[in-house]
Amino acid sequence: MADFNLRKAEPKDVTDILRLIKELAKFEEMEEQVVLTEKELLEDGFGEHPFYHCLVAEVPADRRSRDGHTVVGFAMYYFTYDPWIGKLLYLEDFYVMPEYQGYGMGSHIFKRLSETAVKTRCSSMHFIVAEWNSKSIEFYKRRGAADLSLEEGWRLFEIDKQSLLKMAK
Amino acid sequence: MDFTIRAATPEDCKDISRMIIELSDYEKMADQVKISHEELKRDGFCQNPFYQCLIAEVPEEHKTKDGHVNVGYALFFYTYSTWKGKCVYMEDLYVMPEFRGKGIGKALMSSVAKVGKEQQCARLQLSVLDWNTPSMDFYIARDAQDLTKSEGWHLLRFDGAALDKLAEEAPKK
Repeated sequence: MADFNLRKAEPKDVTDILRLIKELAKFEEMEEQVVLTEKELLEDGFGEHPFYHCLVAEVPADRRSRDGHTVVGFAMYYFTYDPWIGKLLYLEDFYVMPEYQGYGMGSHIFKRLSETAVKTRCSSMHFIVAEWNSKSIEFYKRRGAADLSLEEGWRLFEIDKQSLLKMAK
Repeated sequence: MDFTIRAATPEDCKDISRMIIELSDYEKMADQVKISHEELKRDGFCQNPFYQCLIAEVPEEHKTKDGHVNVGYALFFYTYSTWKGKCVYMEDLYVMPEFRGKGIGKALMSSVAKVGKEQQCARLQLSVLDWNTPSMDFYIARDAQDLTKSEGWHLLRFDGAALDKLAEEAPKK
């Protein structure tokens, strides 16, 4: 099954994107943490100033999923900035439905993202992976990714909304 | 000591560049700084800027021995969580050593938090090197959680030849 189309997401895709986001969160055992809505996805991705960009993988109608979906994968990314090297492409989420995995779709998406990074003058592509997710880590390392947490000691810190509001006073 | 926190202007880019190099030196990675103040100016002050920057400025009478009044900065941008929506990421926070301990770092970070609040951001994220205990303590004192420790998140990078090779292999459709 090699027949699929990788294209830029459109406003009509937000329902599918949210569905896939929730499926991925479930895989990461964090499903209850998804509070984002379709309305926010629409405003934030397709307004005057998009906060993210999205690619969707679509199969023809005769290859639709068991539940009748033709949008079967997505990748969400945005541009960040490293004061040492300039623009970066940051890959936020990347997912292909299990029944469509193993056909090269993920690899194809990843190559397209790399091409986008190079075309938009980004020095590199960054992303985070959970250390227990060995399948994903292998996928990325096979393609030459460096683990900056292991190699350089970078740790990701987060301040949640409550503490953020406290600090903003 | 009196100081002001204000938005950076294009004219500040030389100072920002100077302080970026000072910070990279502290992080023992000064050889990794590849961009100049001109690129900073282009990328931060274009129509759709790739970052925002706040500057900490002291009055003339407190300027450094080299004559600088811009003594700290915070560089940040918006990111997006598929779980929570808009977030703010603080990429750099730096105060020149002789101006530390006066609340400037805290004021810079609070100002970033304020921008995040105004933009209805769900959280603020940042990265710290694991040996950088003073910085980790500073952030933990402000309720930051170490997600690498607690949830096992690792930062991965894909660059140089590996990125170029993948890009060339991208199917043309």
